[in-house]
Amino acid sequence: MTAVTDQDHTDHTDRADHTDHAAHPADHAEEAVSEGGSGEDGGGAPVEGGASGAVEVVETEGVVETEEVVEVEESVEGAHARVGDDSCGRTDSSGAWDDGLIARRVNETAGGEPVAVVEARGAGAPVAAPLAYDGALRSRLDALRELVGLSRTRLDSRTLSEAGRVLDEAAARRRLSGQHTVVAIAGATGSGKSQLFNALAGVTISETGVRRPTTAAPIACSWSDGSASLIERLGIPPRLRRRPLQSAEMEAQLRGLVLVDLPDHDSAAVQHREQVDRVLALVDAVIWVVDPEKYADAVLHERYLRPMAGHAEVMFVVLNQIDRLPGEATDQVLDDLRRLLDEDGIALGEYGEPGATVLALSALTGDGVGELREALGQFVAERGAPARRISADVDAAAWRLRPVYATGRRTGLSEEARDEFAVRLADAVGATAAGEAAERAWLRNANRACGTPWLRLWRWYQVRLEPVTGRLPLRAQAEEEATARQRVEQAVRTVADRASAGLPAPWAQAVREAAVRGSQGLPEALDELAARAGLPPGRPPRPGWWPAAVLAQASMTLLQIVGGLWLVGQIVGFMAPNLGVPVLLMVAGIIGGPLVEWSCRIAARGPARRYGMEAERRLREAAAGCGRARVLDPVAAELLRYREVREQYGRVLGVEAGVR
Amino acid sequence: MVTLDVRPQLLDALSALRDRVAAARFPLPLPGAPRARANRDELLAQLDDYLVPRLRQPEAPLLAVVGGSTGAGKSTLVNSLVGRRVSEAGVLRPTTRTPVLVCHPEDHHWFSGMRVLPDLTRVWVPQQDGGDDLLLPGEDPTRVLRVETADTLPPGLALLDAPDVDSLVADNRTLAAELICAADIWVMVTTAARYADAVPWHLLRTAKEYDATLVTVLDRVPHQVVSEVSRQYAALLTKAGLGDVPRFTVPELPESAWGGGLLPATAVAPLRTWLVHQAQDPASRQHTLARTARGVLDSLKARMPELAGAAAAQYAAALRLTAAVDGAYDSEHARVRGRLQAGAVLAGDALKRWRAFPLDCSAAELLDALVESLAALLLCAVTAADERVDEAWRREPAAGAPELTGRDPALETPEHRIGLAVRRWRRELEEYAEEEVRDLERSVAPDPEVIAALVATALLGGRRARTAGEGLAERLGAHGALRLRDRGGRLLTEHLDRVVHAERERRLAPLDALDVHPEPQAELIAALSVLQKER
Repeated sequence: MTAVTDQDHTDHTDRADHTDHAAHPADHAEEAVSEGGSGEDGGGAPVEGGASGAVEVVETEGVVETEEVVEVEESVEGAHARVGDDSCGRTDSSGAWDDGLIARRVNETAGGEPVAVVEARGAGAPVAAPLAYDGALRSRLDALRELVGLSRTRLDSRTLSEAGRVLDEAAARRRLSGQHTVVAIAGATGSGKSQLFNALAGVTISETGVRRPTTAAPIACSWSDGSASLIERLGIPPRLRRRPLQSAEMEAQLRGLVLVDLPDHDSAAVQHREQVDRVLALVDAVIWVVDPEKYADAVLHERYLRPMAGHAEVMFVVLNQIDRLPGEATDQVLDDLRRLLDEDGIALGEYGEPGATVLALSALTGDGVGELREALGQFVAERGAPARRISADVDAAAWRLRPVYATGRRTGLSEEARDEFAVRLADAVGATAAGEAAERAWLRNANRACGTPWLRLWRWYQVRLEPVTGRLPLRAQAEEEATARQRVEQAVRTVADRASAGLPAPWAQAVREAAVRGSQGLPEALDELAARAGLPPGRPPRPGWWPAAVLAQASMTLLQIVGGLWLVGQIVGFMAPNLGVPVLLMVAGIIGGPLVEWSCRIAARGPARRYGMEAERRLREAAAGCGRARVLDPVAAELLRYREVREQYGRVLGVEAGVR
Repeated sequence: MVTLDVRPQLLDALSALRDRVAAARFPLPLPGAPRARANRDELLAQLDDYLVPRLRQPEAPLLAVVGGSTGAGKSTLVNSLVGRRVSEAGVLRPTTRTPVLVCHPEDHHWFSGMRVLPDLTRVWVPQQDGGDDLLLPGEDPTRVLRVETADTLPPGLALLDAPDVDSLVADNRTLAAELICAADIWVMVTTAARYADAVPWHLLRTAKEYDATLVTVLDRVPHQVVSEVSRQYAALLTKAGLGDVPRFTVPELPESAWGGGLLPATAVAPLRTWLVHQAQDPASRQHTLARTARGVLDSLKARMPELAGAAAAQYAAALRLTAAVDGAYDSEHARVRGRLQAGAVLAGDALKRWRAFPLDCSAAELLDALVESLAALLLCAVTAADERVDEAWRREPAAGAPELTGRDPALETPEHRIGLAVRRWRRELEEYAEEEVRDLERSVAPDPEVIAALVATALLGGRRARTAGEGLAERLGAHGALRLRDRGGRLLTEHLDRVVHAERERRLAPLDALDVHPEPQAELIAALSVLQKER
C-alpha cells in the first residue's frame, strides 16, 4: 500500500500545479486506484483485488494515463492555464517529460533496486522508453498502412485483416517499453516448459507435474520493472505475474527479459491451444521446447514452425530432457531436429548467420541451461527482438497478400491494344464503308459531270427503268442505332480483358468495371458523332481542272454537232460538198468525247480517294477520341491506381526498386 | 447378429456395397469433398483390409495392430512381446517407416497372400540397412509391409507395428490409420508425457465409435510416478467413456527405447498374457472378433449415409453449375434473337453499305458486311454468356475444380467457329436465291447475288430494311419473295440455335466429363439397406 500513498502524493502536487479543470481526470484515476485498493481489502471482486502484486502495476499505468490527459488539457488550454511554469520548465529540461516522470516513479517503486544500475544501462535514456523502430522498418510499416488504406475499396476486409492486425500490433508494441523483450516458452505438453521456466527464474514459479496438461494459463515473469503494460497486453492477470529469484548476477544478465510460460499446444484441451495462439501473436520472441519423444510431432511442425518460419530470427528451439538420452544419442537427435527445422524452412543461426538458435539442455539437471541463459541475455541486451518480430510479421503479412498484389508479368494497356480498340470502334461506326461510299459517290459524280451527254442520257434511262432500292426513303427517316452495338460491346470487353490480363483478381475486376461503366452511353455517343462527322462539311471539293474538263467535253460535243450539221448541210446541198473536214470534225468529237471522259476518270481517282480517306479518317478519329475519353482513360486511371498500390507493396516488401 | 460362420448372402451384400463405395467419386472441390474422399478411402480400406477377409475366413489369426504417437515406443513394445528384434527402434523420429507384421510360422500363409491389406506390397527379406534398396524402382516406399515370423508368438495371433499416427510424413499418417482400421484388436500405445495429446485421443474416440476391441498401453512411465500417471490416465479414459478398456502400464526402464533393446519379459507379461488369451481361448476369441466386426458393420449405418450425402452434395453442385451455364446461354440467346429482330445487324459497316447499295456498293460487298456483322453479334452474345457463366461460377466453390478452370485457349476460338457457321449460312442462302432465280421463267432473270443480298438485308435488317423486302418482291414476285424470306429466316434461326447450343455444350463438356450423377447417392443407400437386411 505504500505505492498507493506515494502516488496520491504526486497526484496532489500535480493538482496543486494545474488548474482544477486539468485535475479532474487525475481525480478519477485516483478514485479507480483507491477502489482497487479497497476491493483488495474487502476481498471482494476477484479481478480488481486479485493480488497485491497488481497494485504497483495499476499504479504505474494510472500515472501514465493521468499525465497524458493533463498534458493534452494543458496544451489546449494554452498559456493562461499554466500556473506552474516552473514545473513545466523542469520536465522540459529533462527531455521527454513523461519518460522522466515514469523513470522517477519506477525508481521510487522499485525500492531497493540500485539506481546506479539503471543509469549505467540506460545511458541517459529512461527505463521504459517506448520502443523505437529503425528507419527501414518504419517506412515499411508506413507503406503497409498506406497500402491498406489504398486497397480498402478494392479488397474485402477479410483479406486485409491480417495486415491490419500487424499494423495494430506494431503500433501497440511501439507504445510500450523498448527496454524489455517478451519471450514466450512454448511447446508440447510434457516437454518441460514449466521446468525450463523455473530453471531460468531460479525459483519454482510455474507448477510442474506429471499430470497432463499441467499449465493451463500463461504465467509471466519479469526480470526488471516497467514491463507491466507489456504483460497487460498479453492479457495475463496480475495474479499470474511473478518475479524471479533476486540475485544481482542473474538479474544483470537477463535484465529486460519478460518470460512467459505458455500452456501446451497439443493436448486435448482446446482452450490451451487458443491461449497459445493468442499470446504467440503478441510476444517478441519464442523459445520452442521440444523433447526427444516429441520433437518430430506433426502438430508442432505443421501448425506452428512452418507458418512461423519467417520468424526464425526471434526463435529459440530447445531440446529439453537430454538427461533421458544416452550418450551420443543427444547429438543424433539434435542433428535430426536441425534437419527437420531446415525442412520446415527455418533458417538456423549457425556460424554467425541470423536465424533460430538451437540448443540442447536438461532443465532437470541444469545441463545446458547456462548456455541458454547466456544466449537469452545477449539476445535481450541487443533489444532488437521486438523490431525483428514486427519485421517478420510484416514479411508474413506481405507474403500472404502477394496473390492480391503481385503479378507474374508486365501489366498495363499496350499501344497495340489501344489501336485495336480504336479499329474496333471504327468498325462499329462503319468508317471503312463510309469512306468507300464517299469515294465512290464522288467518283460517280465526277464521271457524270465529265461524261458524254449521250452516255448520261442512256444512264438516266436505265435508272428510270431500275426499281428504286431502299436508299431514298432511308435517307428521309431519322437514323437510330447506326452504330453496331454488338461491336462496341465486344470492343470494350476485349480491351478490358487485355488491360486486366495478369492483374490480381480484385484489380482485374476493378479495371473491368471501369471499362463497363465507361462504355455506358458510348453507342449513343457514337451514333450522334457518326451523324455529325460522317462527311466533310460543305460541297465535295472539286479539283482545278474540273471546269476545263467540262469545257473540253462540251467542245467535243460541239464538234460532233458542228460536224454533223455540216454534213447535213452538204447532203441537202446547202453547202459545197467537202466530205473531209466535217467527217474529221465529227470523228474527232466522237473519239474525243469518251477520251476526255476516260482521262477525267483517271484523273478523278486521286481526288476521290482523298475525299473518301478524309471521310473515313474523320469518322475514325472521332470514334477513337470518344472511346479514349469514355473507356480508355478510366481504364488507364484504374491501372495507374494499381501500379501505385503495387509500388507501395514493393515498399512493404522492402524492395525499393525492381518492382515488376 | 454376426456369427463367425461364413454367410454367402452377407458377403455378397458386402461386396456389392464395397463396389458402390469404390465407384463413388467426389471430383468437385466442395467444402466437404476432401473429407468425403478420405472417408471413402478409409471405408474402402477397412472393407478390403478387414471386414471382407474377416467375414470370409473367420478362422484366420487375430491381428493386433500396435498404434500410437511418434516416440511412444511401439516398436520396442512389439520387439519385447515377440522376444527378439523384429522392428527397428531408435531415438530418431519417426522410426518405423515400414510397417512390420509378426506372426507364428504356421500362420505365415494367412498373411503372405493378398488376403488382408491387399494394397501393400509384401517384402520377404528382412531389411539389412534401410529398406530402400530392396524396393523395386518406382515403388512407393511407404506402401510396403514386411512380414516376419517368430516361434515365440503363439499361433493364431499376429502383431503389426504401425507407423506413427501423428507422423510428420503425411503418407505415414494415412497408412497408420489404414493399418489400425484393419485390426481385430487395436493396441493403442501412449506415454507418460503424451497421454493428454490430442491426436491419439482422436484415435481412441474413433475406436469407441467403431466399438473395436481396444486395449491401451501406457508406456515409458518413470517408476516414481506410475501410480499418479496411471490414475490420471484412467480418469481421462473414464471421462471419455472408455473406462472399461483394458489398460496396461509399462514402466520406463533403462533398456527402454534408447538402445533399441528389449524390455524384460516381466514388463510386458500382462499384456502378452491378455493377447494370448484373446487368441487362444475360443470364447474370448469369438467375442473379440465378433465385437470388432459388428462394430464396423454398425458404423456403416452412419458412414454410408454420410458418403451418400456428400455424393448428393456433389450432384447438387454440378446441377447448380449447369444451371448457371444454361441460364446464361438462354438469356443471351433470347437477347440475340431480340437484337436480330430489331435489325441490330444492319448497323455500322453493314448499314453504310446498304445505304450505298446499289449505286456505290456491290451485292457481294453488302453480303460480306452483313455476314461479318452477324458474326460479330453472335460472338458478342457468346462471350457475354461466357462472362456471365464465369461470374456465376466465381461464387461457386465447386467451380474451382482444375478440370473446369483450365480451359485451353490455344484451341480454336469461338470467333473461328462462329465465322464458320455464319459463312455456311451465307452459302446456303445463296443457293436458295439461285434456286428461286432459276425457277423464274423470265428472260431477264435478276442476278442471284443481288437477290441473296436483298434477302439477307431483309432478314437481318428488321424494320429499317423494309425497302429490301419491297425490292425483293419486285424482282421475284410477292409469292417468291415471301417463300425465299421464310426459308432464309428458318435457316437463320436454325444456325443461330446451333451456334448457341454448340457453344453451351462446349462450356459444359468439362463438367460432363467429371461424370457427376444422382445415382451414387441412391445406390449407396440401397446397398446399405440390402446389407442391413442380410445381417
